[in-house]
Amino acid sequence: MKILTYILKRILQSIPLLILVSIISFFIIRLSPVDPLAELRLNPSVSQETLQKETQRLGLDKPIIVQYGKWAKSFVKGDLGITSNGEKVSDKLKERIPNTLLLTTIVIALTWIVGIPLGVAAALKWKTPFDRILTVLTSVGMAIPSFFFAVLLLIMAVKTGWFPIGGLTSSNFLEMSFGGQVWDITHHLILPVTVLFTISLAGLQRQMRANLLDVLDSDYVKFARAKGLSEFDVIYKHALRNAINPMITMLGFEFAGLLSGAALTEYVFQYPGLGRLILEAVMKSDINLVMASLMMGAIMLILGNLIADILLIITDPRIRVKA
Amino acid sequence: MKKAGYVILVLIFIAILAKACIIADTPTPITQEKSQNTATEQIIYPQNQKNITIADVDYLQSQAEIGIYGGSLVASTIGEGPKTFNPFNTKDNISAMMSEVMYDGLLTTHPVTGQPIPKLAKSFSVNGNDYIIHLRHGIKWSDGKPITADDVVFTWQNIIFDGFGNTSTRDSIIIDGKLPTVKKIDDYTVEFKTPQPFAPFIRMLSTSIAPKHIFEPAVKKGKEYFETFLSTNIDPKILVTSGAFKLKEYVPAQRVVFERNPNYYMINKNNQKLPYLDKLVYLIVGDINNEVLKFEGGELDTIGLQGANVARFKELEKHSNFKVYNLGPDTGTMFVSFNLNNRKDKNGKYYVDLKKQRWFQDKNFRQAVDYAIDRKNMVLNIANGLAAPLYTAESLNSIYLNKNLKPYDRNIEKSKDLLKKSGYWWDKKGHLMDKFGNHVEFNLFTNAGNTEREAIGVMVKQDLEDLGMKINFKPIEFNSLVNKLVNTSDWDIVIMGLTGSPLEPNGGKNVWMSNGTLHMFNQRPAGYTKDDRYPWEKELDYLYTQGALATTFEARKKFYDEYQKIVYEEKPFVYIYSPLRITAIRTKFKNVFPTSLGGVTYNIEEIYEAKEPSKGE
Repeated sequence: MKILTYILKRILQSIPLLILVSIISFFIIRLSPVDPLAELRLNPSVSQETLQKETQRLGLDKPIIVQYGKWAKSFVKGDLGITSNGEKVSDKLKERIPNTLLLTTIVIALTWIVGIPLGVAAALKWKTPFDRILTVLTSVGMAIPSFFFAVLLLIMAVKTGWFPIGGLTSSNFLEMSFGGQVWDITHHLILPVTVLFTISLAGLQRQMRANLLDVLDSDYVKFARAKGLSEFDVIYKHALRNAINPMITMLGFEFAGLLSGAALTEYVFQYPGLGRLILEAVMKSDINLVMASLMMGAIMLILGNLIADILLIITDPRIRVKA
Repeated sequence: MKKAGYVILVLIFIAILAKACIIADTPTPITQEKSQNTATEQIIYPQNQKNITIADVDYLQSQAEIGIYGGSLVASTIGEGPKTFNPFNTKDNISAMMSEVMYDGLLTTHPVTGQPIPKLAKSFSVNGNDYIIHLRHGIKWSDGKPITADDVVFTWQNIIFDGFGNTSTRDSIIIDGKLPTVKKIDDYTVEFKTPQPFAPFIRMLSTSIAPKHIFEPAVKKGKEYFETFLSTNIDPKILVTSGAFKLKEYVPAQRVVFERNPNYYMINKNNQKLPYLDKLVYLIVGDINNEVLKFEGGELDTIGLQGANVARFKELEKHSNFKVYNLGPDTGTMFVSFNLNNRKDKNGKYYVDLKKQRWFQDKNFRQAVDYAIDRKNMVLNIANGLAAPLYTAESLNSIYLNKNLKPYDRNIEKSKDLLKKSGYWWDKKGHLMDKFGNHVEFNLFTNAGNTEREAIGVMVKQDLEDLGMKINFKPIEFNSLVNKLVNTSDWDIVIMGLTGSPLEPNGGKNVWMSNGTLHMFNQRPAGYTKDDRYPWEKELDYLYTQGALATTFEARKKFYDEYQKIVYEEKPFVYIYSPLRITAIRTKFKNVFPTSLGGVTYNIEEIYEAKEPSKGE
């Protein structure tokens, strides 16, 4: 019961935050000098009447406050509005969300499955060659900018022909058998996953290693060892449980990045995800689409933090008392 | 000892990385002669297509070589892909291109001569303002329903004239507030009448024709519904087409796949149905670099090339399976425009400084600027030699180009003479002064981010500084620039580009007519009634009005020749160059007859994929 009121409280707290985020983003977009109709204006075959009609359709003839009010009203009702091309924003997002989720969940799952054990192993083998080699490798991973790494891999794909050059499916995807389709998607995913995996693995592995080292140095671990507990019990029952707390907070942030974290890599690999969609929307000042994606990002962040906090309550009794 | 080992290991690793970078960063030397030498060899075009009737069906017979069935061609589009599959809602090039693949118009353009020729129509006749269209008997939509006069009348009357979707076609054929009329004479004959003779109308007849049985329910639901009708998330089976291909699948941000339309009305010399290709695929790529990578990686079969890539591909061509075609200058024009505005704004202030007005409104001054600009140098240094210097308002591949207007080289002496004639003089430091002792100094704008225009700006500035002018070159953000041009008019000279039509000069009426929305060199506010046109602006208005009213090509050409001559002499725009269009396509595709007007894949019905990929020539 207590946890339910806690969740309710958190949700209520996030409402003013969301309102603030939406106001700031709306006004920044509208105050920038980008004119969504600039291209039409420079087209010799477009008449004055068409331009006026477009201005009215997009609501550009009204003051910003009124525009915001209109947007907010329909957003609260759950209607994300239409893009500047007349398509439903919710449809556009629905097309892309599964693709981005596919990429990011694979990457997050992989990094956690590989990163946590590697971090633990590095901490246990502290200052051995194994630990040092890992440190060097993760330094490299952290230092390479993701877009640069992505471009390098793309050039490799062109030169060797081992991998497709971007995209998610081949052009004859429809004619393939089910197994063929699975392989086709996997084949296309290898390069973008490699880029994102290398970069986030480095951070995660180091964080885990540092946390565990910290805990291993604390008094209660020394005490447990002195008490004569087996090394297995000391590490996996006592040390690890305490070292994992900061990682759960990180998981909350990763959750927020599920939909927006891979934009740059998506762009380089021409991956049909949200990143490319939103980039173009920003360039064209397609306000409904940009607002929808920004709000989605904000909500995901709030949700991620909430989930992390709840998980922390479950794993850490100290927080439970305070809450 | 151990530590040293690690240090060496790391150093070796860094060295390997650095070495890789050095190799990648050394540019491959570009041989200038090679890139110049992109002239095409003689292409032998097949004879014109013929109408042929077999079993009461009026087919269109291709005269190209007989090909092999099967295969697919993969092309690409840059950007976010089509926004709609409704040919009447298209507002962007990619959507329009996709519609053209699927929906044929009554007429089309001859790829070599540029004259209108029948397509979905069997024949047509024009008599002043009266257009009679005869339709093909027995041809069908992709779902098997016949294509008849009802579809044509419905398309023109209920969609276009009634203002559904994108109204630009409708706007461009309103003459003195009146629309043309369309009438069904019998099931296979339609008559169009324009309120008065209006030659550009014939080009409008290439507008797609809609299947009435599909579009009628949508039209009945009103304009708002029509805006969303056939948007990109529909089931491809709903799309009923008349073109060579029909939609098979659309995968957002990845590709559009078309498959053969079995009911297409074109046949080959053996009377077998076309097209040859099973599939036509457009990959949706985000930018030019990715497109080039995909072509090199073999995922694309054809690509448009630009700048430094042309030289590289020309080099690769020798031992690769593609061929590079030079299609000649494209329809884009690049120019420097003067602000000839002589009006006051709401606060009684001149849009352009009085002293600057005296400079810009002086024909000698404008001509002096024109002679001072070194077009050839810009072609070589900015466009890598892949452009043609431009001196006329019509683009170089326009069928209305006035060929009597001769090109000329930079002539700084002539510039100086022209300036002296108007009382300009130079002070001791070489600064150019006008009659009243003002130093000639003004701002040059262009849109920031467009590297080509920025480079032109720098060279224009240098060229004009040779005359002792002071130029403040200010690239600004695109949208702010457009705002300056069409709303606030607070600019001096600007570098801009526009795309024209090589077939129909009337498309430029918004630029050249004095009340046009893009009459940027002397932009009048909407609804401006006072007649303060320059004498030559009046002439342009007259020529543009008459050019649209005349009906034969020869009669029209006279008016448009004259308008180009006026622009050539008055120089409201100083034209710079037109880029060349270069395209590569794999050699395994046969029946490829590139033309300047049509591009490479205009005859997609006839193109086939040879089974044995042949190397080189």
